[in-house]
Amino acid sequence: MSAVLQLSNVVKTYGDLRALDGIELSLPEDSYVSLLGPSGSGKTTLLRVIAGFEQPESGAIRFSGKDVSNTPPHERNIGFVFQNFALFPHLSVYDNIAFGLVNRAVDPVTDMKLLDRKVRDMISLVGLAGLEGRATTQISGGQKQRVALARTLVTEPQMVLLDEPLGALDANLRARMRSELRMIRERCGVTFLHVTGSETEALAMGDTVLVLDRARIAQQGDSDTIYNRPCSPAVARFLNCYNLFSGKMADGGFATAQGLLGFQGHPQRAADPAYAIRYDRVDIRPAGAAATADEVQIEGTFIASEYTGSAVNAFFSLDDGKVFEVEAHLSHRAPENYEPHRRYALAWKREDALVFA
Amino acid sequence: MTMTAVTEEIKTEKAAANGPSGKTLWLLAPGVLWMLLFLVLPLAMMLYVSFWTQTTFKIEPTLTLKSWITFFTSDTYLGALWTTVRIWLIVLAATVVVGYPAALFVGLFVKNKTLQTVLLVLCVIPFWTSFLIRVLAWRPMLGKEGAINMILMKIGIISQPIEVLLFSELSVIIGMTQIYCVFMVGPIAFMLGRIDPSIIEAAKDLGAGFWRIFRTIILPLSMPGVVVGAIFVSVMVLGEFATSAALSGRKVNLLGNIIVTQVGSLKWAFAAVAGVVLTILMGAVVAALLRVVDLRKEL
Repeated sequence: MSAVLQLSNVVKTYGDLRALDGIELSLPEDSYVSLLGPSGSGKTTLLRVIAGFEQPESGAIRFSGKDVSNTPPHERNIGFVFQNFALFPHLSVYDNIAFGLVNRAVDPVTDMKLLDRKVRDMISLVGLAGLEGRATTQISGGQKQRVALARTLVTEPQMVLLDEPLGALDANLRARMRSELRMIRERCGVTFLHVTGSETEALAMGDTVLVLDRARIAQQGDSDTIYNRPCSPAVARFLNCYNLFSGKMADGGFATAQGLLGFQGHPQRAADPAYAIRYDRVDIRPAGAAATADEVQIEGTFIASEYTGSAVNAFFSLDDGKVFEVEAHLSHRAPENYEPHRRYALAWKREDALVFA
Repeated sequence: MTMTAVTEEIKTEKAAANGPSGKTLWLLAPGVLWMLLFLVLPLAMMLYVSFWTQTTFKIEPTLTLKSWITFFTSDTYLGALWTTVRIWLIVLAATVVVGYPAALFVGLFVKNKTLQTVLLVLCVIPFWTSFLIRVLAWRPMLGKEGAINMILMKIGIISQPIEVLLFSELSVIIGMTQIYCVFMVGPIAFMLGRIDPSIIEAAKDLGAGFWRIFRTIILPLSMPGVVVGAIFVSVMVLGEFATSAALSGRKVNLLGNIIVTQVGSLKWAFAAVAGVVLTILMGAVVAALLRVVDLRKEL
């Protein structure tokens, strides 16, 4: 697959703050890419630089084979779907969607019949039929989302940037729009770059997932790789499914505040050393239970648990006050009752641990 | 639960249908009383007096159409009406032409909110001096030996002073535009400041250039500001008499000047006729402007 968008060494600063610090990036054609990053990691800045709303201090942006670093946004043919949708408040749903075709500087559509056909096709593609004449204040959040998407897609951009597109929707709608976004993308055959702060959204939607950390791309890979083999403690932290211990390498294991923790295989290279174990790889046992040779075991005091339907998340306080989370999937076992303030043993297999050093 | 909610709703609706409660009436009373005594009553009185009989030295409450007929057959009065309408239209256009770009700059291109406020306050600074000084200050600017003529002659653009600058319709228009421009800038800048910047970015992203965006997005969204500004300027210019008196050397007579002269020579009936005509004109202008944009929906 050839790359539709390539960024090399892109730097953007605001005063002293380096919002983008040498971004290297290459996005494949016709795929769904999600960009995960905590707030303040530079996600929105990256999108705005790609769209052309912000000028980077240095670096090159190549889009479908051309250097677009100095091209104004309206000549880039990159669609942008705003977080707050940014619909034109004085125009109807139909006119919002027709705006780009009628008003673009390059090759505007003047044939009213063609325009009407294109707009109506797009309206039915995103499922807005019957709402053409409504004002944008008279439609629901999900419908606004669709108008924003349709308005961009109808201009047939070669790539669409979505800035937390599901952030303004309620949880139910968010889940439905996820599959719909993927479906719409497949029908259009263009690359979507979807920025989100939610790790589940990023993993669920992206064919490729990018993780942005402190103004740099920390990792790029498919969902499975990102989830199971995060390349740094920071990435593991964003995924929100790893217990992390800081410490340093020692003989026969990794030395942390909890003592020497064993692991198998080679540690991964990373700037700040850490030991990570996934929430759902931990077994809870009565205190004092014996661990087998291939296991690591620590102790903690049970604080509380959280029932999420398919799983129970139990929280333990370790001796140094750190909170340790365990996720038990209920498809395997019935929920167990733990007593608050009582000590339990927490055990996991050495081979399940990830070590960064 | 649902039933009780529905009954509650019906009750509130009934209360609303029964008219405002006692408390609402008390809140309304001072305002209504004030408006009745000092707006409705004088207006009615003015209309009534316009039909009184005016003789040279006195006025009698005998109803007659004489003053009205005099007004609409006299070239002086009709000329004043026409001058008022003409100057109003020119000043209105001038304040939009001068004020809109300024408002566009303050409201849209200045991103810093503090700087925005500072610039708007700068627009208001001329109002820290009195009205008369602001008007009279134009005399040494525009006069035959005024600043503008002196400068133009010094740099050799003209050899004779331009006399039309002062004591002409032009000087009245210049003076009024300067004084009332800020009433146009304020509302427009306010509306422009409320436009979500991402809407303009979205339009750019969809491929539209600046002038397209201005015509299709910025201008329609700022129209309520233009209408509010136009109402302010219209009401003030239509009722003007001081600027024209001070800057035209009594050559330009507006309806306001007619009223002042008539009242000065105790011709109350004529003054009342001019007053009624002016009030109707203002009412029509405001009503027409409100038809352009539904302000209740926009603000």
